[in-house]
Amino acid sequence: MCHKYPGLGRIDSNGSNNANKIKRVFYINNSIYEKTYHGSIRCKSCHTGVTKIPHNGIKKVDCATECHIIDPSSNKPFSHKKIVNDFNASVHGSEGSNTSSKEDLPVCKDCHSNKAYHADFDQQTAGMTSLKVCEECHKSGDFTKRFYEHISYRITKRRSSKEVVKLCSTCHADKELMDKHELDIVIGFSNTFHAKALFYGNTEVPNCLNCHAPYQLGFSPHRISSRKNSQSPTNPENKHLTCSQSGCHIDAEKSFASGGYVHPSPEKIKISKIIGSQEKTRFQNTVIGWIQMFYKVLITLVIGGLAFHRVLDFHATRREKNKGGHLK
Amino acid sequence: MNSEQKTERKFLRMTKSQRIQHVILFVSTTILILTGFMLQADNWLIEIFGDYGEIIFSIRSWLHRIAGVIVALVCVYHLLYVISTEEGKSWALDMLPRPKDAVDAYQNVLFMMGLRDEKPKLDRFMYMEKLEYWSVYFGMTIVIITGTMMWTEYLWPRFYLEVANVFHLGEAVLAALAIIVGHIFSVHYNPHVYPMNRTFIDGMISEEMMKEEHELWYEREIKNIDKPAAGTDSNEKT
Repeated sequence: MCHKYPGLGRIDSNGSNNANKIKRVFYINNSIYEKTYHGSIRCKSCHTGVTKIPHNGIKKVDCATECHIIDPSSNKPFSHKKIVNDFNASVHGSEGSNTSSKEDLPVCKDCHSNKAYHADFDQQTAGMTSLKVCEECHKSGDFTKRFYEHISYRITKRRSSKEVVKLCSTCHADKELMDKHELDIVIGFSNTFHAKALFYGNTEVPNCLNCHAPYQLGFSPHRISSRKNSQSPTNPENKHLTCSQSGCHIDAEKSFASGGYVHPSPEKIKISKIIGSQEKTRFQNTVIGWIQMFYKVLITLVIGGLAFHRVLDFHATRREKNKGGHLK
Repeated sequence: MNSEQKTERKFLRMTKSQRIQHVILFVSTTILILTGFMLQADNWLIEIFGDYGEIIFSIRSWLHRIAGVIVALVCVYHLLYVISTEEGKSWALDMLPRPKDAVDAYQNVLFMMGLRDEKPKLDRFMYMEKLEYWSVYFGMTIVIITGTMMWTEYLWPRFYLEVANVFHLGEAVLAALAIIVGHIFSVHYNPHVYPMNRTFIDGMISEEMMKEEHELWYEREIKNIDKPAAGTDSNEKT
């Protein structure tokens, strides 16, 4: 009713400071909303409890709410409840995570933004006679459109690998946030071969989800678990199965995936005393750190020496030339 | 140029086989350096390729492997060449480091700094050339072994691959910089030879430059010309 008017909004004040004031827009463009995943669901199906103006004391949107859509496969009202429960039990969820700052955990809408389906539906489906078959019974084009989009969207890859990496990085590359939760920042990934190939657009290399939630092995992004969990695809005992998924390092054996982290944070790679009793990961990072230091020193000495010699030679040759020596 | 009119004599410095080995080495090394460092670029730079990125990546991958195999073959060939041919043996023998190289280096640095009047008499290969030559053995051994490991990645524990990767990259940076600072500058931006030392194309060195930069070798060759003896690998051309 009101939300169709573009001017609708509010300035929220967080304290007395003007700088903290946030402008919030409550305008919903219906023609865009209709094209989104949830375009056929009415506002109150998700925003439950809205009965009066102003909408005081209403609950936040809960994606586990049963909505007014009847799932044609079960004839029951549809709900994301199973996904929400899976997610809550995962390492990102309120039950699965053992962090003390639960308010930092991601929620559905941090990853899912109710994007618009194919805006170019008409061009895309022009000439597709198969859709005409549907329309024989389902006279309304909207029904066919929504089902086609629902299925085709899931068949094609929804997010590109780059988008996945960027999405996960919004939290996992945030040093302050990761430090707070005593986690490694994953910026080390961007230096790996996988990351380089991925940013070139290669689709064979894994993004975050292919290793942390491989569908091929029965995992899902909603059920990501800690590497400490014995069932996790990143658990040292299972890692080789993850690496040897079809299309990847298929011949990899257990030793291939053994050892420390695949993408250690660069700050962990440092030189220190190598002690036999060190934790394996730390030992390995230390060895890598020493080799890097060896090359830094070698390169500085060799290239510095070469450059010094070259400059001296250049000046000496010029000097001899000016002396009218026997140089040409 | 020369004030005195001299007959422009030239001596053979690189035989045809050596020139071919050098060209193959330098073309494939250039490809290896370029395609290798394409993996070190920052991700925002890589994204500039846009939709072409995927095909560029796959071309890059294959070029790097093909050039890597060629380089390895040239290295193996060179080893056989050094062991089994006369010119190869003479080449490697003259390349062997000797105590004189240390003396030469010391005296030459003094000379270049203007603290010594005479430039030391250098032999067929001076200390810098020897250093560059043997560095290639050292570097190639490392990059070929680590490159092969990374190509057959599924055979190795991940940590070994990590170590291989660090060695491969370190060696590549060292080699690329050494080639630019040490080698290209000496054969291009050296006032003796600017804009380019043509020896790698025609194999010849002028008498004048030979006398200047490899005096000991020059004196030996001149003796050989005066009293022609078997087994010399130098030709004379007028």
